Amino acid sequence: MKKEKKNSLLRTLIVRNELSAIVPLIIILIIVAIGNPNFYRLKNILDIIRTASFSFYIAAPLTFLLTASGMDLSIGSILSFGGVLYAKLIVGGVPVVPSILICLIAGGIIGFMNGLVIVKYNQPAFIATLGTQYIISGAVLVWTGGISVSGLTAASKVIGQYYIGGVVPIPIVYAIIIGIICYIVLAKTKWGRSLAAIGGNQETAYLAGIPVVRRRILVYTIVGIAASFTGVVWAARFSNGLPGAGDAVNMKNMAAVIIGGTSPAGGSGTVIGTAFGCILLAAISNFLVFLGIPATAQQLIFGAILIAAIFIDRYRRQILSKG
Amino acid sequence: MLQHTLEMRHVTKRFPGVLALDDVSLELKSGEILAICGENGAGKSTLMKVLSGSYTSHEYEGEIWFDGEKIEHMNVAKAREIGIEMVYQETNVFLYGSIMENLFVGNLPGKGSLVDFKELKERTAQILEEIGLGDISPTSVCRPLSSGQLQLLSIARSRVKEPNVMVFDEPTTALTDTEVEHLFALIRKLQQEGVAIIYISHKLEEIFELADRVMVIRDGKKVSEYKVSETNRNTLIEDMIGRSMTDMYPHDPSPMTDEVVLSVRHLTVPNPTATDLNIVEDISFDLHKGEILGLGGLIGAGRSESLGAIYGQYTQGVTKEVYINGEKVDIKTPDDAIKAGIGFVTEERKRNGFVWLLPIYQNISLISLRTMLPGKYMIDFDAEKKQAKTMFDRLKIKAPTMNTLAGTLSGGNQQKVVLGKWLVNNPKILFVDEPTKGIDVGTKAEFYKILRELTQQGISIVMVSSDMPELVNMSDRILVLSSGKIQGELTGEHRTQREVMELAIR
Repeated sequence: MKKEKKNSLLRTLIVRNELSAIVPLIIILIIVAIGNPNFYRLKNILDIIRTASFSFYIAAPLTFLLTASGMDLSIGSILSFGGVLYAKLIVGGVPVVPSILICLIAGGIIGFMNGLVIVKYNQPAFIATLGTQYIISGAVLVWTGGISVSGLTAASKVIGQYYIGGVVPIPIVYAIIIGIICYIVLAKTKWGRSLAAIGGNQETAYLAGIPVVRRRILVYTIVGIAASFTGVVWAARFSNGLPGAGDAVNMKNMAAVIIGGTSPAGGSGTVIGTAFGCILLAAISNFLVFLGIPATAQQLIFGAILIAAIFIDRYRRQILSKG
Repeated sequence: MLQHTLEMRHVTKRFPGVLALDDVSLELKSGEILAICGENGAGKSTLMKVLSGSYTSHEYEGEIWFDGEKIEHMNVAKAREIGIEMVYQETNVFLYGSIMENLFVGNLPGKGSLVDFKELKERTAQILEEIGLGDISPTSVCRPLSSGQLQLLSIARSRVKEPNVMVFDEPTTALTDTEVEHLFALIRKLQQEGVAIIYISHKLEEIFELADRVMVIRDGKKVSEYKVSETNRNTLIEDMIGRSMTDMYPHDPSPMTDEVVLSVRHLTVPNPTATDLNIVEDISFDLHKGEILGLGGLIGAGRSESLGAIYGQYTQGVTKEVYINGEKVDIKTPDDAIKAGIGFVTEERKRNGFVWLLPIYQNISLISLRTMLPGKYMIDFDAEKKQAKTMFDRLKIKAPTMNTLAGTLSGGNQQKVVLGKWLVNNPKILFVDEPTKGIDVGTKAEFYKILRELTQQGISIVMVSSDMPELVNMSDRILVLSSGKIQGELTGEHRTQREVMELAIR
């Protein structure tokens, strides 16, 4: 009898989507607390959250995409492209606001093209977005010659470098706004529900009159806009448009979403979980630095966590299917 | 021939809060066919999972004996060793592999690591002959075979392993009548060869035709066991549902009127599998207010495809004119159909009827959320749950709560969710395609009552059914499709199984 009770606690932990990110996060925070109290300095915590924010801009709408049973391997290249484009526009004398808008539109167009190829012409998302990744990063390299674009004006950097009240970095504020919007859209709106229906069973969704094609293309477009937006803020924060800014982003963001409890097979997703997924990955990076482990080892650990997350998802589905 | 005896003694299986099997015992000898019947969720599948070793010994109470010896530590490997083979409803075939490779996978003839293709081909041809697929080449790819043919193939594949016990779980669901005949011939042959057979089926006719003994399970308990020659249909039904059942079909007068609500003219639907062929060629029909219009015919006559084409599920190559209450409507997508007041309970509920991962209440509101429930963008959860609750109660969906995931329900309850999803949307016209397929007898009767009630509320129903008693008893009028045409209309006393069949084979 005792054994059963224990099981059921473990089960609740696993079945509640968000918890697959929160539990390891808490464990890590405790381990670090014992090892290195410096980790808990306000500045360091804000650093972690800022890093997490950059992931979250994309990961939040990516939660929509995975919920609707899609995937996107081109976000990294769109990020780089957005940043480079922003830097080039600013250097070329275009004012800040129109520059931002142009970047968002350009990102949206790339996302839309992804959606068109995948949904309208029924191509596998994996291949289509991988192709886009190569095309866009290739284009960025050709355009910049592989050299970062510097010379941003002071005004253009504000959007990445401003501190609210002198303490809170502005990228965190964007993340909070994006998080709230995405949470409401996915959990509380009819539109969000339709994504879960599409990801859960596309044919059922179509027969229920949901405009499946339009919805799915729109989600790819939103992800494209988000990726470009991340590039813009990134360029502003680091004062240049770096052609390789988005190189490691693809897998990391997907991992954050999946670790957060969104099923890679579609049908259920949680933006709150994704937020914790982003914070978890950022905390691990930061933690490793504190431990003096080289950044190169991070990928290894992210990979392991991602695999663990997939297994947890599988186990969750098994439990749910047994009822 | 070696005589074997298989016994399951006092098997009890508990799930948290549920007793799935309660002290069930059975005995089976070589060359015997034991049928097991019971409603969905009665415990048949659980019993077979115990037998196949899917549940290992420590997961249940009770014992399995084979040839007088107790099997310790039962698991899948042990079950194989004893020679227990399961034939499941779903076929798992490598679609792009050849037939012969599929048949002998894991068992390929030949010396060492080399395959003896000559023998492989010969033995495959022989097996294909036996299952009535003699005109198909052993080397051809499985992909173009029908689901019925695939089913026969996977049965043949189990047989290649020369089992002592074979378990058939609803094997005829996807089969046409001819294929069923071949299947039965094959099962009888297995019986003569000394295989002990367990045959699980809803279809009592099959049990009477095939089995020696029949065992009824209800709520995890063994209710009764008879020699087939010593029992009858009504007894079995009563045992299955636990109450006496004089008639499943409602006898309320039909509220059918002369008012035409739906007119379909010149409907042509291309064949989904063969290009350049039409499965339905230029048919026209009317649906009257408050009637149940039955569409009869054999599998492959194009009945489901016709409904799908009218509804906007299929559009490619479809030509049609649809009039609702005399007004022409242009239905290009399911959304157009829904706006025109049509609902569609499809045949394959798992494939396109509900969303597995969503809770019951969200499945019920799948359509009405967009069309009826308040809020332009935001979900009004209170209104949504209230609406779903009404339907949940009205249809008596058996589930712990409305938050239960639809995928975890039994077939009958899933079907109720699918129906509920349409009913909350107040359709004027409802298409139902094989509405009680794979559903237990008790729930079937509930469905019939509900369908009749709907017509009394002024809803008009088009029903496709391959279940002959259902078709003739529920329909006010029957149109029989065959060879792409409507072969005839049956009304009044002409609504008999014989007359339907005569038209269907034209």
